[in-house]
Amino acid sequence: MAWRIGIDSGGTFTDVCLFDDATGEVSVWKVPSTPDDPSRAIAQGTQEGTQRVGANTGDVAYFGHGTTVGTNALIQHRGVRTGLITTDGFRDLIEIGRQKRPDLYDLQVDKAPPLVTRDLRFGVAERVRHDGSVEIPLDEDAVRQAARALKAAGVKAIAIGFLYGFVRPDHEILAKRIVLEEFPEAFVCASHEVAPEFREYERISTAVVNAYLGPVMHNYIRRLADRLKELGLATTPHLTQSNGGVIGFDMAARLPVRTVLSGPSTGVVAAQAIGQMTGIANLITFDMGGTSSDVALLRNGEAKLASEANVHGYPIKAPMLDIHTVGAGGGSLAAIDSGGLLKVGPRSAGADPGPVCYGRGSTEPAVTDANVVLQTLNPTHLLGGRMPIRQDLSKQAIGRLADTLGLDVMATAQGIISVVTANMAKAIRVVSVQRGHDPRDYALVAFGGAGPLHAARLARELDMKRIVVPRNPGIGCALGLLLTDLRANFATTRLAPLGDALIEDMASIFAGLEAQSLHWFGEEKVLAADRKLRRTADLRYQGQNYELSIEVPEGPITTATIAALAQGFAQAHLRLYGFVAEGETVQVVTYRAEAVGFVPKAQFRPEPDAGPDASGAIVGRREVWFPETGGFVDCPIYDREKLKSGNVFAGPAIVEQMDATTVLLPGMTARVEPYLNLILETP
Amino acid sequence: MTAPATITVDPITVEVIGSSFASITEEMGEALVKASYSTNIKERRDCSTALFDIEGSTLCQAEHIPMHLGSFIGIIPHILKRHPIAEMKPGDVFIGNDAYEGGGTHLPDIVLAEPIFHGETMVAWAVNTAHHSDFADRGHAHIYQEGLRIPPIRLYDGGVLMKDVQELILLNCQVPRERLSDLRAQMAANRLGVERVRALCDKYGRDTMLSAGRALQDYAERKMRAGIASIPDGIYRFVDFFDNPEIEQPLEFSVEITVAGEEMTLDFKSPPQARAGFNMVYTALLSTVYYAVKTVSDPTIPPNSGLARPLTVIAEPGTVLNCVHPAAVNGRIASCQRVVDLIHGALAQAVPERVIAACCGTAASATFMGAMPGTGELWVYLETIGGGSGARVGKDGLDGVHVHMTNTSNLPVEALELEYPLTLLRYELVDDSGGHGRQRGGMGLRRVYRAEAPCRLNLDNSRLNSQPWGIAGGGSGQGGSFTFSDAVGPFVNGDGSLEAGQIVAIITPGAGGYGPASERAPEALARDIAEGRRSAR
Repeated sequence: MAWRIGIDSGGTFTDVCLFDDATGEVSVWKVPSTPDDPSRAIAQGTQEGTQRVGANTGDVAYFGHGTTVGTNALIQHRGVRTGLITTDGFRDLIEIGRQKRPDLYDLQVDKAPPLVTRDLRFGVAERVRHDGSVEIPLDEDAVRQAARALKAAGVKAIAIGFLYGFVRPDHEILAKRIVLEEFPEAFVCASHEVAPEFREYERISTAVVNAYLGPVMHNYIRRLADRLKELGLATTPHLTQSNGGVIGFDMAARLPVRTVLSGPSTGVVAAQAIGQMTGIANLITFDMGGTSSDVALLRNGEAKLASEANVHGYPIKAPMLDIHTVGAGGGSLAAIDSGGLLKVGPRSAGADPGPVCYGRGSTEPAVTDANVVLQTLNPTHLLGGRMPIRQDLSKQAIGRLADTLGLDVMATAQGIISVVTANMAKAIRVVSVQRGHDPRDYALVAFGGAGPLHAARLARELDMKRIVVPRNPGIGCALGLLLTDLRANFATTRLAPLGDALIEDMASIFAGLEAQSLHWFGEEKVLAADRKLRRTADLRYQGQNYELSIEVPEGPITTATIAALAQGFAQAHLRLYGFVAEGETVQVVTYRAEAVGFVPKAQFRPEPDAGPDASGAIVGRREVWFPETGGFVDCPIYDREKLKSGNVFAGPAIVEQMDATTVLLPGMTARVEPYLNLILETP
Repeated sequence: MTAPATITVDPITVEVIGSSFASITEEMGEALVKASYSTNIKERRDCSTALFDIEGSTLCQAEHIPMHLGSFIGIIPHILKRHPIAEMKPGDVFIGNDAYEGGGTHLPDIVLAEPIFHGETMVAWAVNTAHHSDFADRGHAHIYQEGLRIPPIRLYDGGVLMKDVQELILLNCQVPRERLSDLRAQMAANRLGVERVRALCDKYGRDTMLSAGRALQDYAERKMRAGIASIPDGIYRFVDFFDNPEIEQPLEFSVEITVAGEEMTLDFKSPPQARAGFNMVYTALLSTVYYAVKTVSDPTIPPNSGLARPLTVIAEPGTVLNCVHPAAVNGRIASCQRVVDLIHGALAQAVPERVIAACCGTAASATFMGAMPGTGELWVYLETIGGGSGARVGKDGLDGVHVHMTNTSNLPVEALELEYPLTLLRYELVDDSGGHGRQRGGMGLRRVYRAEAPCRLNLDNSRLNSQPWGIAGGGSGQGGSFTFSDAVGPFVNGDGSLEAGQIVAIITPGAGGYGPASERAPEALARDIAEGRRSAR
């Protein structure tokens, strides 16, 4: 008997998804997160989840994990105190960036604060030139002094980034050695290790983010690995990266910058699978958790992959899915701003103390409190009865806001929902309308603990007609982990004109990348039959600074390879820019290898049609407040576990399950499809 | 051609089409940057893209460089003056740059405009402008010294390249290979715009799209009116001084702003136009006013022509701020930057919480030109350098950013040194350059170059004799300056030469503070001192 486990650790809950390879059954479990050390909740969830299905942790054949530890530390600026050692004269570079202001017209907008304060940035004499020659040798004493000063200042991590570190990393390597001699317990990373590509600001910024998150992730992963070992887990645990693929813990601890979108990217993978199941290829994912919401757009089942992105104001050179995040979640706090307007988020109650209704001492109302007052959420308990809810406390807290606003409690609670809905609609516009896609052509896939609760309102705001609520929406990301392949990207930058003279060099560079991939396959214990290697070359016309990634045909590098690349580039350039610059030199810039290790996926099975009658799933009734009616309406409560394939029912209604609550607004209908996903439609 | 039917479009469709315009112009901008060869466009992004309705009202301008709106306002009317719509065909592309006849604001900004046809019907224009860093090492006594003047003429006629026109233009450029490839990138950008707008017409119908365009302009007008209405009625005046490497004595600029209900009139006074490059044409003044008023009234107003309707802009023709033929205009952005400060200074009396203290007041620049060692091929490299941004009512000013009318990126060192015989020695914030105050003014930048081969160099900077002022008792920022290594010859009007191994440092101004320095929070002051942003005094 073999079990596959996916665990997604969010800011509020830790979701566990267990798949039984033998029966195809999916079981889910959910435990409150432990933000001070998320590994505690993961271990607890693993233990409880496996016990519940009667499995031994030793039977687990695969363990996949997605985390928001990195992204939360970046958003909340809770990485470690970090130092920077860089080329003399350029210590302000990470602050100046590309010298653009953050908003063209709004003069109140601030730049993201530098992750290394100015007093912890040291310039040292050294200079490599663009051709790799050394003009000024590294001042080793200065590096040593800087390391000592940074140690004395109490930093935990040090980034090293010199000009041309990607051309000739010698100075970075030497400086790293010296820093480690002086300060062996520091997390040290150099720019050429994390992003060996040109443009110094973006490369050094990536190194700084990596250092800033390094000790946080390293400690986290170490603790988690220890706990899992104690539980008797025999398999190697894996962590999701921002590119939607997974890697082993060791690599994740070295390169935390590759996992800043770890949590959300698994949700996109899950949505992809749900799209395939339901036959809906154009989807907008809406993953609403406790602290934030992530949205992404899948066109024809594919999400866009970028090689660089700006994450919360910090450029990061690492492959990542195009995911947009807003600070709007169930725990987002409602408050009145200086101008007397009701604002929701980005501050969040988090898991501890959580919303007021948890009764753990918080007095500031959160979005969840508004739902408890409106009774869209169960006003007495959550998590299938495991968590008691104090509606009276929610009412008091929202009542205080209502008094300041001069509104009644119900209107204020609904106002909180309206404001948070508008914030989320804006996020969806960023990935759809702003990229030229009309959201009305897409279905909304709602998951995360709070997604199905808010999806109907959000869809109505955007005039989207169809919503898909997965079978286990609260653990959407955890489910995605069971459907994810191992994936690692390797790259080498070396500029040269594309031509037959390049054959030998190209072959040796790709041989190097293949060797790295093979080493990685070995580390990850991927069987030969499950390995796939995809090679690409980034090409441009000499003179351009942006490249097009062109697939390299399989097999040895020959004149035919060169010709295929030239032709592929010309076609891509024509398609994108409408012209081919005949006779101009095409330049190869970066060689890339993407190594994919296929992981056997959870196989889901369709259920037979049980007919439209859903009445058997009604387990009770509850008064729910809707602005459409301006008052409470008596609604049926459906138990998601009891809904069968083919069932149809109409709103207003509430669907409850252990990990989520789905709201159907008046006028909407719901249908259960064969894989037990719920399809909500507005006629 | 029949007039398009005006139909009422639901607000969601208007918003979706409006956002589509915005994403189309953004996408055009990305294509332009990615396909281009010159550092000024591919890295510094000194370019803008827009869509216009047939008559030349802006449907949408991408959020790149506010200054470029000036070129956009002028180009379509100038095209239409020479070329009737009836004669236009799909695949026509117009090129122009002249400040007096071509709709431009200075000659390096070359505009390409392509009419968009949906079927047989012309529906809109795809337009972009790119700053070609060329026409370097020229005089600025009048526009004839500043480069080739191009009126709006066809570069493509029904999809066919007018080779003669292209050759004439390229022969007048110092770096023709870059010009050619940048023009191709501009073509690529417009082609994308044409395709996307056609698809929009297919999807929503031509009339819906055009009606939504008009609805968006009305919406921008309503937002602008509401924004102006929120400013107390009154007459607000402000005087500032303009200085520049081209002049010995600072010039006095002033404005009188009348706010009356939902409308605003801005009346500018400045000295007669000069035999120097800092004069600005009326469209440059308009784009400056639109920018400045938008920042104060409502930064979220969509960037289309509707926002101009409640504004009246007055300046005597033949003065620096509204120059006429044949005044030179190459360095007009310096004056534009000062005009924004002027408007903020005046409105500080009405809405002090919405304006910011004086910024660095310049788009300080260094234009290098030389012959490449070995090949002898000419090279031109333009860098504009940011500075301090003014302190705000509750926040410090931004350090080392581009302010107001420009927002170009810097050229990465690793791109710069690969392409030009120059070495960048330092690029850093200038300690003690931000004006003191309850909120500190932003810090200026220092950028230090070493020439590796002989080259000519033009330098522009401002606040050389004056200082960026503070608000409400805030201190002034430090002004701009240059320093040179020993034996560098004299610079006249900002022009000079460097020999191999010689060094120039450009130091840009900081910005003014907000509120009395005595009210600065002790922890903020301590942090400034610990971080070396200001010295302990």
